[in-house]
Amino acid sequence: MSLLEKLHRRAANSGLITKAITSLPKLSKLFTIVGILWLCVYLPAEGNFRNTYFSENALMPNQAYSYFRETEWNIVRGYRSEITKIINDTDIRNTVVSDWLNDIVGVKTAIHHNSRYGDTLYGILNAQRGDGTEAMVLAAPWQNSEGDLNTSGVSVAIALLRFFSRWPVWSKNIILVLSDNSNVALRNWVEAYHTSLDLTGGSIEASIVLDYPGTSDYIDFIELYYTGLNGDLPNLDLVNVAVSVIEHEGLKVSLNGIKNFQARDFQARLETLLLGVEKMALAGVGEPIMGHECFSGWRIQSVTVKAKGDKGPADVTTFGRIVEASFRSVNNLLEKFHQSFFFYILLAPKWFISIASYLPAAIFISISYALASLNAIVNNEFSSLPMSSTHNIQALLLLGCCLIFTFVLSRGFSLVICNRGNEHTYNALMTSVLLGSQLFLSNLKSLTKLIIKPELGYRLKCFAYLFFSVVLTSLLVLNFSLSYVISILAFPMTLLVSSNSILKNKVFLIISNPFISTFIATSLIKNTLQWNIFCQLVEAWKDLGCFTWFVICIGWYTPWLMVALSDCNETLNKIEHKSNINKQE
Amino acid sequence: MVFPATKLITLVALCVIVFIDICLASPSSLVGIESQNEIKYPFEEKLTLEPLPNNFLFASFQFLLASNDFLINKKNIDPSKFTHYTVFPKSISPILEQTDTKKLSLRFTHGLWDSKSWGKLPHNGYNSGGSGVEIWGLIEARNNTDAMSKWNQLTNQLSGLFCASIDFIDSSKTTFPSNSDVFLNNLESIPMTDPLENSLFLMRGSLANEPICTENLTPFIKLLPNREKSGIASLLDGHKVFDSFWNSMSLEVDTICSDDGICHYVLEILVETVLNVPQLLSRNKNPIPKPSTSDELRCDRSKNTDEVQCFPLPEKSNYDYHLSDLFGKKVNGNNLLSETYSKVCMVSASAENWKIFIKIGDDYFSTSDNCYNLNVDSPIDFFIETEDSSDVSVREHAPVHVSRSLTGYSQDRGGLRISFWNPSVDKNIDVVYFESLPWFMQPYLSSLSLESDANTINDELGEIIKDTYFLPAIDRKRPSHIEFQLNVPANTTITMSYQFDKPLLKYAEYPPDANHGFEIESAFIAVKGWSSDSHKKGREEIYFLRTPTLLLSLSTPDFSMPYNVIILTSTVMAMIFGMIFNMMTKRFITVQKADEIASKSKIRQLVGKLKNLKRVAS
Repeated sequence: MSLLEKLHRRAANSGLITKAITSLPKLSKLFTIVGILWLCVYLPAEGNFRNTYFSENALMPNQAYSYFRETEWNIVRGYRSEITKIINDTDIRNTVVSDWLNDIVGVKTAIHHNSRYGDTLYGILNAQRGDGTEAMVLAAPWQNSEGDLNTSGVSVAIALLRFFSRWPVWSKNIILVLSDNSNVALRNWVEAYHTSLDLTGGSIEASIVLDYPGTSDYIDFIELYYTGLNGDLPNLDLVNVAVSVIEHEGLKVSLNGIKNFQARDFQARLETLLLGVEKMALAGVGEPIMGHECFSGWRIQSVTVKAKGDKGPADVTTFGRIVEASFRSVNNLLEKFHQSFFFYILLAPKWFISIASYLPAAIFISISYALASLNAIVNNEFSSLPMSSTHNIQALLLLGCCLIFTFVLSRGFSLVICNRGNEHTYNALMTSVLLGSQLFLSNLKSLTKLIIKPELGYRLKCFAYLFFSVVLTSLLVLNFSLSYVISILAFPMTLLVSSNSILKNKVFLIISNPFISTFIATSLIKNTLQWNIFCQLVEAWKDLGCFTWFVICIGWYTPWLMVALSDCNETLNKIEHKSNINKQE
Repeated sequence: MVFPATKLITLVALCVIVFIDICLASPSSLVGIESQNEIKYPFEEKLTLEPLPNNFLFASFQFLLASNDFLINKKNIDPSKFTHYTVFPKSISPILEQTDTKKLSLRFTHGLWDSKSWGKLPHNGYNSGGSGVEIWGLIEARNNTDAMSKWNQLTNQLSGLFCASIDFIDSSKTTFPSNSDVFLNNLESIPMTDPLENSLFLMRGSLANEPICTENLTPFIKLLPNREKSGIASLLDGHKVFDSFWNSMSLEVDTICSDDGICHYVLEILVETVLNVPQLLSRNKNPIPKPSTSDELRCDRSKNTDEVQCFPLPEKSNYDYHLSDLFGKKVNGNNLLSETYSKVCMVSASAENWKIFIKIGDDYFSTSDNCYNLNVDSPIDFFIETEDSSDVSVREHAPVHVSRSLTGYSQDRGGLRISFWNPSVDKNIDVVYFESLPWFMQPYLSSLSLESDANTINDELGEIIKDTYFLPAIDRKRPSHIEFQLNVPANTTITMSYQFDKPLLKYAEYPPDANHGFEIESAFIAVKGWSSDSHKKGREEIYFLRTPTLLLSLSTPDFSMPYNVIILTSTVMAMIFGMIFNMMTKRFITVQKADEIASKSKIRQLVGKLKNLKRVAS
């Protein structure tokens, strides 16, 4: 106590608190910089990450010998040559394969019809000794995320199901899912499985999506995708199982399809980390849907395994053995995945950062918004206004109005865009209309005669930053990456002060506008202009339940609107100058 | 002998008639006793084999036993009279007498009966339960409380006898089914000890997914008069019986009485299993199902086939094998007690395609009806041969197919979806849907909705449910009990769904491995009037089936969390205590005064002196 008291007295004596208050804008910037450095410098540095480990002892990966080899290769090839004949014929391929599956002992099949998203054939191998209440899913979409035909993937999946049917060891049912594509069709099947299908096989514990286009016999390495929608990640134990099984088969793992997957130096770790953050932030929006994302939100742990290359060292059966060994491992589970981590960032297949280490990065930035909000309330001559002053109430009312406006906009725009299919020119037109209107709003001050009182301007900013800070803080637990990326992109918003030149403020407003910023950022990442980005955002919500569109509209656009409003203030400039001069005196 | 001779003979005759009555399926009666002095051994056993599609083989071991006579009215019992047991297990009747149980059914079932390809369940589903353990009892008692206490006594004793957790069936898992006329026939004919004071209570409980294994089979074998030493029971081996796609063990005790109150028990034990023949045969060769060698591969020649690719053919259809290949043992001769021979029969429509031979020593014999009486005492084997295993006798189709699944994903609520499919072209069926939900599933009947795939009847959906019975749960004391009577139109799927809440459990109420989820017992469906054959009566008239069990996930705490909470609270408490203690023991003075006092303290003075000394020295 006496120590605290001493510190307090020291601080009071040296005027630290007043100094801190006057330098709030600097502090706010400092916190953002710390937040950025934390993720980009501190976390990938040696000593800040850990080796992954199996938390659930029951998993025991690679403890059983995998037998999917030898003549199973002939069978995979046999299925493959038949599939090559029918894979282009969307009308008959499901019924033909359904007949093949019905010949396998213990398999029941059904086709889930959906005219909008595409049909899905699925077969359930009932675990002979199991209770029939739990299941594992083996999904192989006919067409992968790049639009290639998943010939080998489907063949391996069918051959595997046939192979599995001869084993009495299964304690969980195995469901084979062949959907038309790896995104909406699969997602629609998952949703139907939990709502309206008659043939079901119990609650799904884990799923593996196979992606192996072409008819090659050999594989160079494996790409492992794991980031789900809305910040959902599979349990780290499942990722560990997949990595350990793949490496046990002598193959290298590339996380999220990173090119430079062999290196383990600082740069490689940083690249893997940033790619993971990007995939999570853009899941369902800019990134192609690999398949495993479709299981997000249903408490199903899911990964996509993609085979790359056609030289070797491994062959098709290795790909099958990866699934076999992973399923054998998951099959051992008595409980659901509940140990280990649900929130993590991977730096390498066997290195991870847990939530406790990376969360501060986003927290620092959201604190910087809280500081900006504090700055807007204390660092001007209106700081002594009472809480119940009309300006506060006006600002709150405006916050409400902005919320309603952004909500209406988010719903209204989703009705307008994408409703003519994926017509590119139409969507580009709608996107430009949206962006144009944002440019107009950014120039509200010079284009209209709208003027608000300076007191209200400060209050608006205060509530805007506070609202944004709360949004970011609550979002960072759900989707760390989205929260982090948005907070960085929106940061120029806090730099808006009346002492700046009008042009500077205008630039800050424009680049922190959610729509313009999203458009620019995704275009930079993809290296092409993303005219379709808003259509994708809306569709991701409609088809996949990805909430990024609403975060951008309601969470980000609302405070931006308020800041833009607060900028419509001619007199603010002088007053702030005066108050600064007063303080210096 | 206490009874006069004539009476005994009439009794025996009655027994015989009763036996014929209950053993409609079995071709012969149990006992044929001529002489009054001869001790009778009413025991009969039979093994029925039936090929099913896809190379499955259904094997049913049936054992019928009856007890000696006793008097139902306890007042008339002569205390000096001794009880005599012949074949009837000594362990069963005291339990029944103590708990006044007139009828007891105990079923251990595991696996999935594939009714779409295998047809109806054996015995119209009467003798098999849902996955796990199911117990039914008809108990004579004064009132519900009395019945429950007797029931508890019954379950506890059976638990010990059958090595299963039947004692976990307490009041929170027990229901009193209301449509007892459907679940039981001839309720009136069941005798009571004290008909004036007491009434009969039908009670039911079940344990979903109770693991069933060898230790449950052994008690069943122990009930048989000659154990597994001889007769068809010698085939029963846990490793083989449970290495199946579906298996069921059931025990059924009935009390049968004559008008003058002389009764006896009839016990039927069934052990039934569905085996996959190719799987077992290949496992005999190699216990690990390794990939077949290249010359064993069976490829479809009509498709691209060469030395590196092979489109697999379905399993072959011509088989011959010995029964000992499936059960690992031979039948150890005839059973030594029964008056009738043990029987082994093969049921199949096409006698020319399915042949069964009896093998005694090295010789094979056959009969025209594929049925054998085992009249030798040496080891016997059977040889089964088929040219086309897909040519199987068409079992009757199941009158209804029911699927039941959980919907939703959240941890605080969920839904149940039950769909009934009536495959018949022209016959509507009446169905009783029975469901007992644990108290931690709180259903909302208001959310009950019906859907149909046939648009024509959508207007009449309100008339699908004829009658409802719903008894809400009492937390931790009583399960929810739902009984609906539905009429499912021909060739239609009716889907019933409703929502329920998932409450939070108390910390200690979670079972071990809490993150596994909670097993929800199967729903139970009785179909009335399904049969086109109007001659079938009583038990034959009703078809029973169970849905698969479900796994419900409730929000489960992190069980190490309390320790974190304890540590956190303790820290906060310590800090608050420190502050309060500080404030209570210190004086409040101004800062100036505090500095003044501080400067007068001895240490400060000492430090001051030292500083002075230093200054002087320098």
